[in-house]
Amino acid sequence: MSELSPLQLWTRRLGFVALALFIVFLHLLPLQTAPQSWAGPDWLMAFAFAWAVRRPDYMPAAMLALVFLMADLLLQRPPGLWALLMLVACESLKSQSRQLRAATFPTEAFSVAGLIIAVSIGYRLVLVVFLVDLPPLSLEIMQMIMTLAFYPLAALVTHSLMGVRKIVPGDYVSRGRRL
Amino acid sequence: MAKDRSSSVEYAGPMRRLLLTVLILVLAGTFIIWRIDSPRVERFRAQMTDRIVPNFDWAMAPITGTINLIRDFESYRRIAEQNRELRRELRQMQAWKEAALQLEQENARLLDLNNVRLDPRLTYITGVVLADSGSPFRQSVLLNVGARDGLVEGWATMDGIGLVGRISGVAKNTSRVLLVTDASSRVPALIQPSGQSAIVTGDNSATPPIDFLENPDLVRPGDRVVTSGDGGVFPAGLLIGQVAADRVGRLRVRLAADYERLEFLRVLRHYGTESVSDTQQVLTPNGPRTLASEARPDE
Repeated sequence: MSELSPLQLWTRRLGFVALALFIVFLHLLPLQTAPQSWAGPDWLMAFAFAWAVRRPDYMPAAMLALVFLMADLLLQRPPGLWALLMLVACESLKSQSRQLRAATFPTEAFSVAGLIIAVSIGYRLVLVVFLVDLPPLSLEIMQMIMTLAFYPLAALVTHSLMGVRKIVPGDYVSRGRRL
Repeated sequence: MAKDRSSSVEYAGPMRRLLLTVLILVLAGTFIIWRIDSPRVERFRAQMTDRIVPNFDWAMAPITGTINLIRDFESYRRIAEQNRELRRELRQMQAWKEAALQLEQENARLLDLNNVRLDPRLTYITGVVLADSGSPFRQSVLLNVGARDGLVEGWATMDGIGLVGRISGVAKNTSRVLLVTDASSRVPALIQPSGQSAIVTGDNSATPPIDFLENPDLVRPGDRVVTSGDGGVFPAGLLIGQVAADRVGRLRVRLAADYERLEFLRVLRHYGTESVSDTQQVLTPNGPRTLASEARPDE
């Protein structure tokens, strides 16, 4: 699927890693040490889905797994679980990206919303089954809703500011290659 | 979950599918290993944090500084109001200061009379907060002192006034402080002046509730809550905060430490309280025997 030169492709891939690191960095800034009664959106999740829908080739599975595992370790989550769910969700989006390429934004947002809810519920269920100390339910639900609400913004930023767009027919015609 | 979807990619080669399966197994394995042997994985997490986060420091410090500056600037708008409040508080404080000075003199005199020696081993190391936990579900901060500075897991951390938390997870250059507000934090406490013991249970809120209190009738809002030293993790007598009742009448602790802005934290060196064992040998029917050497430190 990738018709970019390897160098360009890897630049974009590293771009996602840099974005993930930046988001984790913002999370780690010691600005809020008192307990909060609200939770913001999970930006890493929103951007990962936005990228996976648009350009599956920018997100190889191994890179995704590493990035999410790193986020798990740095953000004090049980290591591996969130990463696993996100990897499966991103892979399923990547496999749907052919159908979603021609779809309108609401369709895309709808399937992404399904995945956000599935990942959040699945995470909680596995934690319950493995008898891990549970984070407060209200905060988790709030985070899920905030992620749902802010997904369009993440998609907009991905599309316009980061220039990660869906492939449209004719993208590579100038280079004389077949899409 | 749409697990099988990924394998239905038309052009997904068997290699890709294999890689994905391996990745899923590795991640699931990591989680299960963490569940079984969490200390080892947590140590790995601490080491990894130790590698990564200090590298961010050059960028973190100025950004945190700038954002705090902007926040401070916003608070300037309320400056007149704050000034009035501060002046009122200052008047109260002056009265308290007078009382404190008198008490200090009295205390010094009494200590001198009794020839009391304060624990000379209770010294501290001061560290700077590098990062917070990064999620609203966990309450912890990362300090820039670690095993290199002789830190040991379990040591108490204070902000100069009140207890903040305890060290959980030490790497070479950094260490993590589990705050009293975290949902997994339990601190044995003593409520003064009634002398009742209780446990301060973190629940991810700014005011942790007081559990296992024997007789709540003896406790009034405003009472001091200090560590009791039970369990040997914390030294006894560190100030945690004051008792306050919430809307439903549950007793909680209003923490003395300023959680809004944790910047410099003191880690108290604590080598365990010495306990007297073999009591029946000390009290024999023929009178007390000298067995001072029997006392051995916990852990």
